Amino acid sequence: MIESIWTHGLVAAGDSNAVKDAINAICQPHWFFILSNVALFVFLMGYRTFTKPAFALFALLAFTAFYILSALDPDFLSIIIKADNVPITMMMYLTGFFAWLGFRQSAINDTRMEQGQPLLEAGSDDKVLVWPDLVYTEMIALVLCTVFLMVWAVVLRAPLEPPANPSVAPNPSKAPWYFLGLQELLVYFDPWIAGVLLPGLIIVGLIAVPYIDKNPRGNGYYTFKERKFAITTFMVGYLIMWIVLIVFGTFLRGPNWNFFGPYEFWDPHRPAALLNIDFRDIFWVRWMGRAIPTEDWSGIPYYLVREAPGIALLLGYFLVFPVVLKHTVFRRMAVQLGGIRYGIMVFLFLWMLLVPIKMALRWTLNMHYIVAITEFFLNV
Amino acid sequence: MATAELVTRVWIEPGCIVCDACENAAPTVFHVTDDTCVIRPDALNAEFTRPLTAEIKEAAEECPVDVIKFEVVMGEAPAATATPAAAKEEKAAAKADADEPATAAVKKAPHKPAAAAKESGKAAAKSPEKAPTVSVAGEPDPAIQALLRAATSRGGMAVIGKTDAESGPTAKMWEKAPASELPPDARQAKVLKASGETKDGVTRRGVLTGSALGIGWLAFGGASVVSAVAFQRFMMPNVLEEPDPRVRIGKLEVYAAMPPGEVNNDHKPDGFWIIRLEDRIAALNIICTHLGCIPNWLANDRKFKCPCHGSGFRQAGINFEGPAPRPLERFRIEVVDGFVVVDKSKKYQYEKGQWESAESFVEV
Repeated sequence: MIESIWTHGLVAAGDSNAVKDAINAICQPHWFFILSNVALFVFLMGYRTFTKPAFALFALLAFTAFYILSALDPDFLSIIIKADNVPITMMMYLTGFFAWLGFRQSAINDTRMEQGQPLLEAGSDDKVLVWPDLVYTEMIALVLCTVFLMVWAVVLRAPLEPPANPSVAPNPSKAPWYFLGLQELLVYFDPWIAGVLLPGLIIVGLIAVPYIDKNPRGNGYYTFKERKFAITTFMVGYLIMWIVLIVFGTFLRGPNWNFFGPYEFWDPHRPAALLNIDFRDIFWVRWMGRAIPTEDWSGIPYYLVREAPGIALLLGYFLVFPVVLKHTVFRRMAVQLGGIRYGIMVFLFLWMLLVPIKMALRWTLNMHYIVAITEFFLNV
Repeated sequence: MATAELVTRVWIEPGCIVCDACENAAPTVFHVTDDTCVIRPDALNAEFTRPLTAEIKEAAEECPVDVIKFEVVMGEAPAATATPAAAKEEKAAAKADADEPATAAVKKAPHKPAAAAKESGKAAAKSPEKAPTVSVAGEPDPAIQALLRAATSRGGMAVIGKTDAESGPTAKMWEKAPASELPPDARQAKVLKASGETKDGVTRRGVLTGSALGIGWLAFGGASVVSAVAFQRFMMPNVLEEPDPRVRIGKLEVYAAMPPGEVNNDHKPDGFWIIRLEDRIAALNIICTHLGCIPNWLANDRKFKCPCHGSGFRQAGINFEGPAPRPLERFRIEVVDGFVVVDKSKKYQYEKGQWESAESFVEV
């Protein structure tokens, strides 16, 4: 009896088209992205409640149940059982676990600080002996990793394919799972921005963090309350713009790199009508009601005249925003950091913000490029 | 009457690490500054240091880098430092002997006058004058002052001054004295002077360093040039495996018979599509202008669609969706004896207005 209810319930939920359609609908890119951000900010605002073990256990069970029920759908199942995508499942669980672990300890510490109690880390001696503590730990980790890799190699077959054919690309052609976020950026940006500048800024920015952020709070102990801006910024950059984009690329990108809901059949012939427009089209044709300039104007090359509105927009973004932010939300921080460090911080911050802005423009307005000087491969 | 070693002169050799140990042991003798340690002016007097023998020895022993050196004579022990400290002092002396031969050399010298002083029973004031090597008078010796200044002026790295130390009576005396009888600083100065500069300021060290650097850079430059030349050789291989860029794809009638708006997929393995436009045929490069993937022709959607990042191109090759910044390129195409020949070595780009070139299409 119980068994049949269980089975029927599962099958009913798994087969329920209304539920599937609803989930497919909220997995449209703009909704998925907005909801991810909302979820993150709701979690950060209520982190003390949401990291309680009961809540965390509930979230874990709910997500697992959702995952298992989803696996009853053949299209979803075909995605998650692909050997390439097994790490994605592990990534989602591990990311969730470590995010919970960090914020749980932050929540405890923040509460203790308010009550004047010693921190979790107080009195704990970080020092351990190389022998035996470290060497043993390393050896055990080494053995476990080897076992894990062996089991993985035996259980999951290598996804070998026919010999490469230079005139045929698999459809869809997906990057390794850890680069799916970058591949997603390549959809919205010119290759040199998405493939060179943005990864370069990520690396340079991470290197610059200790020089920009010299605030000693949070050194050696977990806290969220004392470092709200820093941790929120990092979490948006890491969870949203790396992890969520990987999930995006895995579950929502199908043939022809079109968007598909997680329960939709990957139909390579599904029509998807998109018509990109550049910002110059919007400005000159729609707003000014005239043709796009193709002539040089008083010594200025025609492509600069043509792209003038886009260039002005970008310059305005990178020049006006720092000043505006300096006198509004970042007022205190600008004073603390000083001119140079504030400038670098705002520059990196604005680049980070430009990514979701550009993605949103593509999804809503089909915006191709803000500045498109294709003559010199200079497209932003 | 108990006799004991009495410190008549104390100095600091280069290498102080500013650890405060000496000042803690003998605060009236040593003064640790921000970057080095100096002897207080009072303590340059033998009368001052004799009663402080125990403290100075202790400081010398405490010093972790053993740069505190002192000179002793045998004399009447002050009441305070009589026997209890004796064992410790001996140990310290032994240690100093073992650590630094220079100290031993200096220490040996005063034993003779010390013995003489013991005979006369007047150890206190006159023994320093009898010392054959170094003049340790009651008032500060300008040469020693200069040495101290030199030793302390550059964070303890002694540079023997060229002003006071080279003039004055003591300096003159030192010039004549054999090196083995000099205090370490003066000996170092002497050795430096003997081995160092020639008339025109050329030093042996300078010559050696300069020539080593020169040889090193020459070798590096030479190796770079040779490897650059060798690398250049790889740019011109003996055999270049490159198929003929000209592909003969069949009779013109076959392609002329295609309805306008049609795409011939047969030559995709050769790297191009043949597209039929209103009044002409053209060869479209299959490489996506975004990142070089291979798009597919979707007949239902009437578009080329790239599977990597979703760039879309119309049948004529114009980009209209996705990230591709510019249209697909076209190859040179011509008719030879009724056969269509595509030359992949020459490309025509729309944004440069090259599609109007007569070589980029064949009229039908």
